[in-house]
Amino acid sequence: MSFFSRIRKGKEGGAPEKTVPLGGSRVSFSPDIHFSHMLLSSVLFIGWRNMFANRMRSVLTVGGVAIGIGIITLLIALGFGVQGMVIREVTKNNPSDIIDISNKSLDNFALLDKATIGKMQNIDGIKEVEVRASIGGKFVSGESQTDVTLNAISRHFLDLARTDIREETREALFATPRAILVTPKLASLLGYENPEDIIGREIEYSAIVTSDMIASDLKEGEEAIPLDESQNKLNIVGVVKDPTRDDSVYAYVPLEVIRARYGNIAGQFAKARVEDESSIESVRLQIEQTAFVTESIVDTIADINSFFSIVRGILIVFGVIIMSISAMGMLNTLSVSLLQRTKEVGILKALGAKRSDIFKMFIFEAFLISFLGGSLGLLFGYGGAKGINTGVNFLAQKYDVASMNFVQLPSAFVISIVVFIFFLGLITGIFPALRASKIHALEALRYE
Amino acid sequence: MPEEKEIVIKVSGLKKSFHVGEQDIPVLFGIDLEIRRGEFVLLVGPSGCGKSTLLHTIYGLESPTEGTVFIEEEDIWAKTKNWRANFRNRYIGFVPQQPFWIKSLTVIENIAIPGVIAGKTFSESITIAAKLIELVGMGKWANHRPFDLSGGQQQRIALARSLLLNPKFIIADEPTGNLDLKAGEQLMSLVGSISRQFQITIIMVTHNMDQYKFGSRIINMVDGRVTSDAINQQFIGMIDEATVQQAMQEASQTI
Repeated sequence: MSFFSRIRKGKEGGAPEKTVPLGGSRVSFSPDIHFSHMLLSSVLFIGWRNMFANRMRSVLTVGGVAIGIGIITLLIALGFGVQGMVIREVTKNNPSDIIDISNKSLDNFALLDKATIGKMQNIDGIKEVEVRASIGGKFVSGESQTDVTLNAISRHFLDLARTDIREETREALFATPRAILVTPKLASLLGYENPEDIIGREIEYSAIVTSDMIASDLKEGEEAIPLDESQNKLNIVGVVKDPTRDDSVYAYVPLEVIRARYGNIAGQFAKARVEDESSIESVRLQIEQTAFVTESIVDTIADINSFFSIVRGILIVFGVIIMSISAMGMLNTLSVSLLQRTKEVGILKALGAKRSDIFKMFIFEAFLISFLGGSLGLLFGYGGAKGINTGVNFLAQKYDVASMNFVQLPSAFVISIVVFIFFLGLITGIFPALRASKIHALEALRYE
Repeated sequence: MPEEKEIVIKVSGLKKSFHVGEQDIPVLFGIDLEIRRGEFVLLVGPSGCGKSTLLHTIYGLESPTEGTVFIEEEDIWAKTKNWRANFRNRYIGFVPQQPFWIKSLTVIENIAIPGVIAGKTFSESITIAAKLIELVGMGKWANHRPFDLSGGQQQRIALARSLLLNPKFIIADEPTGNLDLKAGEQLMSLVGSISRQFQITIIMVTHNMDQYKFGSRIINMVDGRVTSDAINQQFIGMIDEATVQQAMQEASQTI
């Protein structure tokens, strides 16, 4: 080794003539080093590229989360939507400030005569009470005749009962002498193929009125008023469709019209409107202290809500199971990703990456997977529900049934899903991220 | 007689033992070393003699059992882990035996990694990396995956990566170990020229005696001790002048 001489005794070999910066401007050495960290954009970029590099694995993992969230979103959107639709339909002709009043049983039948109605109207919180009597009868039109239920109603009964009958039709019922409204089926039974053609026609009628239907507190005699030829005709002023059934056969007639012919028929059912919905329960209690029972749409809504709460409970259990499987898939992916990238962690640390940088890389990859999966799940779940709705409405249109919206995604659910996917990312990402950040650079570089 | 450069690395009484099971296995037995600015130090010796351990201790990755390592008057092992991480990132380029990569990134993005770790954006770092990839003659491979390249090409890329933040030092752990003779010579030539042109102090572990000519100083280690320490009188430091001059011009114009 003759060309070597002992150090410091020889000359420096090949000293440079000048020094030029290579990449950036030369940083002058300072013991007070400014601590820098990887930018979030860089961390996300590496995470994104890593997901892209392992496409199949990423698709399966993101897909797992998306399917889980998607199924839950679809079921919840349909669940809330159907619940809303049912409540909407139920409350359409049954406003929530209305109380239905009827008898407890036929054995102990009490009539809603003037005195009883007066008492009810005096109850605090009641705004108005309207009555109805259902009477069996017969309609004759030319050659056709049919049995019918006559719904004899007080002046504003329809205001409390039906919102689907137009104001003019309701007015006409009480403005025209001996007017009635008939159902389309009744019109067809009377020989009118097109129900609208029956409007303006006159029909003959009779009703079965017994003495126990007559109010006792009325001064008029208990016998039916003698038949007057001019009183046995009724003028049809409108056709009303039953909101629930197409084959209903009944007619609405002013109570006074029937009374004029058969005597002072009392109400058998009543509807009461309360001034304030919050007082409905106390009003009902007072009415029920008499011989009557009450019903309110509030009861039905409570039943519907309780049914759907059970459905939601079951959905939550399913959701937890589905998401647990997705979460395990994610955890597996991230753990495998860590094992595969151990050397990457090593070189990054060797090149100066800090524990926090490595932690961020892995936790944000977990967030990327969970947020991507969650967003896709929300999108496809909601889109799927909308698709089902559109499909059903398309079929409904084909069969001449009204279209309905039964998809509803409450914002509270969306917020909870966002919170959930954040925690999903955090919980599944934190352990691999902690493990990765703790790896010693040299051990990682030697890892096989 | 040229002026003697200042000491930039000073290793004193450096000992290192590894704890294996119940036993402490000593690897370094009190190394004393002074390295001056601009030196191209080759650390040579048989396998297991402790040269990689010494290199990693100077690089701030392997903590010493005893002794100190001063770099530019800073006692690096008296500092925190994060301080050393920052120090490595800003002032020392690292060329490992196997050029480890972020597999999902392209060649140029991998070269940009030290800049990204330093808190620069990818875009800023890639701008610098674009000049360095030309310097090592690998421009046309910028958008390939690193593992598509041959061993020699990968080591050139690793060299470009080590230069990204304009380091004062390069620590290279047997970078030619997996290369054939020609690729090894080319890489050594490139490292030598860069060292001379940019006055970067280099410490490199090597096994290959044919490459001793590239170093300005040869430190021989046996069984955890320095057995000889000599400057190379016939230091060649082969320079690919055209490549370096072009890169220098571009760098000075744009940075």
